[in-house]
Amino acid sequence: MNFDWATFILEIINFLVLIWILKHFLYQPILDIIARRRAGIEKTLADAHQTKAEADKLKQQHEKFLAEWEKEKEDAQVRLMAELAAMRENKLAELNAKINEEAERRKVLDERAKREFERRMEEQGIAQGIAFTTKLFSRLASPQLEAGLYALLLEDLHGLSKENKRVITEATAVPELQIKVQSAFPLDENKQNELTHHLSDVAGRMLPIEFQVNPDLIAGFQIVIGSWILHANLRDELKFFSGSLQHATAGSQ
Amino acid sequence: MEEAVVVFYAGPFAITSIVITTWGIMLFLGVFCWLATRQLSLDPGPVQTMLEGIILLIEESIEAVSPGYAQQMMPFIGTLWIYIVIANLVGIVPELHSPTGNLSVTAGLAILVFLSVHWFGIRNEGVRYLKHYLSPSPILLPFHLISEVTRTIALAVRLFGNIMSLELVALLVLFVAGLLVPVPVLMLHIVEALVQAYIFGMLALIYVAGAMQSQQNEKGASL
Repeated sequence: MNFDWATFILEIINFLVLIWILKHFLYQPILDIIARRRAGIEKTLADAHQTKAEADKLKQQHEKFLAEWEKEKEDAQVRLMAELAAMRENKLAELNAKINEEAERRKVLDERAKREFERRMEEQGIAQGIAFTTKLFSRLASPQLEAGLYALLLEDLHGLSKENKRVITEATAVPELQIKVQSAFPLDENKQNELTHHLSDVAGRMLPIEFQVNPDLIAGFQIVIGSWILHANLRDELKFFSGSLQHATAGSQ
Repeated sequence: MEEAVVVFYAGPFAITSIVITTWGIMLFLGVFCWLATRQLSLDPGPVQTMLEGIILLIEESIEAVSPGYAQQMMPFIGTLWIYIVIANLVGIVPELHSPTGNLSVTAGLAILVFLSVHWFGIRNEGVRYLKHYLSPSPILLPFHLISEVTRTIALAVRLFGNIMSLELVALLVLFVAGLLVPVPVLMLHIVEALVQAYIFGMLALIYVAGAMQSQQNEKGASL
């Protein structure tokens, strides 16, 4: 248990040197690396917090966008429904208009078809009536009937107005004009002379007259004076009668 | 207990085997720490993890006793713990003796603790640090001075006595009982080495922390 001053002093120096050694080769490097690690951890934590904050912010933005989008979607749906309803109303109105127009057109067409049918029926009736009458007159045609028509012809020639006579006189002013007289039955000599006399009276001068027999007239006469044609026969009367009926039917429709 | 053998003389100083052992410990610690801390990384290996654990343990122990002064006190207190542990355990190695089993060594460490108490006290509190010797009454100044001396002597003698007695017991058991019988004593040596190192370092820490916070203690007492 001796006390050695040299060992005592050297031990103090040794310990101070050991403090320096450990401070420079142990404490400082280890504390530095620990501090760096802590700084790294804190930085990572700070980055994580920042990232979390950014993520929260992005999440809020995303939720905000979702809410806005949802609202826009609902608005768009409402607008779309309104547009669809309006479009449907328009289409329905157009369809109703077309239906009404089509119904009107159909009604007009039906009316027209009906009128056309009625007109055809009337024409057919008139034609059948005319045919029947023609057939009846053809069977009733005889020299006696023609004699009666001859009397009516003479009466009509006598009854011509001055104006008609003047027009006929002007029409017979053509040189070398020949009057053509057609009858359903042959005329005897007396009637030819009598008729020549009356026609010359109407024309105002003596004209050559050619007498012809035309059974198509059924009964009666047809006199051609230039551009004038005088009808006094059943065929033309029936034609006039048929034309008048058709004209009257067309006028009523 | 064997006397320290003088190996050689360096001028007026007789270099004993104890000093040589201390140099060996310093060389071992210096080389080990240099090698271990050459390539530190943020992803530590086993050795770095062990060293970081030891440093953090020391830092937390100091922080628990003297909050806010861990960085300042760590080189001194930490070196005390590390050196005394190694020095105590060296005695287990055959043909080597624990430097702490020598009173000159423990006295040197105790004197360093004594000086460091005043160094840290004046460094942190200024000259006002000395006022605590007059607290609570100047009459107690002699007792404060006696306390300073006796606790320093107690530090030196406690460590010296424990380590010296451990080696002596192991030697006696080896002489009396045979080759393998001292093994449990050697295991006790390991535990005792750790406990004595902890006690010495913790007492030094308490003394230094008390000096650094002497003014605060006085303010707290006056309040």
